Amino acid sequence: MPRVMGVDIPGKKRVEYSLRYIYGVGPSRARDLVAKARIDPAKKADDLTDEEVTRLASLLQELVLEGDLRREVQGNIRRLISIGCYRGSRHRKGLPVRGQRTSTNARTRKGPRKTVGAVRGKEARSAVKTE
Amino acid sequence: MARSIKKGPYVEEKLLQRIGVIIRSGDKRPLKTWSRRSMVLPEFIGLNIAVHNGKTFINLYITENMVGHRLGEFSPTRTFRKHGVATDKVVALK
Repeated sequence: MPRVMGVDIPGKKRVEYSLRYIYGVGPSRARDLVAKARIDPAKKADDLTDEEVTRLASLLQELVLEGDLRREVQGNIRRLISIGCYRGSRHRKGLPVRGQRTSTNARTRKGPRKTVGAVRGKEARSAVKTE
Repeated sequence: MARSIKKGPYVEEKLLQRIGVIIRSGDKRPLKTWSRRSMVLPEFIGLNIAVHNGKTFINLYITENMVGHRLGEFSPTRTFRKHGVATDKVVALK
């Protein structure tokens, strides 16, 4: 298993696919990198020569990836929250940010369903009110 | 689709004029506006703007981070009353 960028060890797959295991490299970037490094995309990651690995590593060096990228994204979200805008409040509440419906669906943001039904019975209601 | 860069940020003409006056006079009172669709420009930093939310004006102190957002984003139009609580109205209906 070749190690590109420190800890990333993409598996026994074609380079164009194994590169996608790096956070910040998706389909188009992977294709791009392989082309720029002049590597056969069908080649297995294990079969890369040392020289090819270093070429890839130098290309990856120029990108914001992994921890740095995660931190950047977190920082952007923190900014939205701190300025008190609508998108920030959606992030704070853990609800969808881009205007999707929330009456149903939105489970990715909301997490597992939790029932919040009405309180039944007179005594129970007054108990809730006095809380 | 995002707005064309060529056109530049959108700010309502009238708001822009009023802000120009405020910057020149150094008036500290919040500027009331209904123009939620106007974008925050770098010139607005440090001003107090009160943005209408359909009911009242929400006071806003413009900071550097707010540039590029629209005024309406800072003035929520909906109030969320919590779920599952029996209000007097609901009780009366039963």
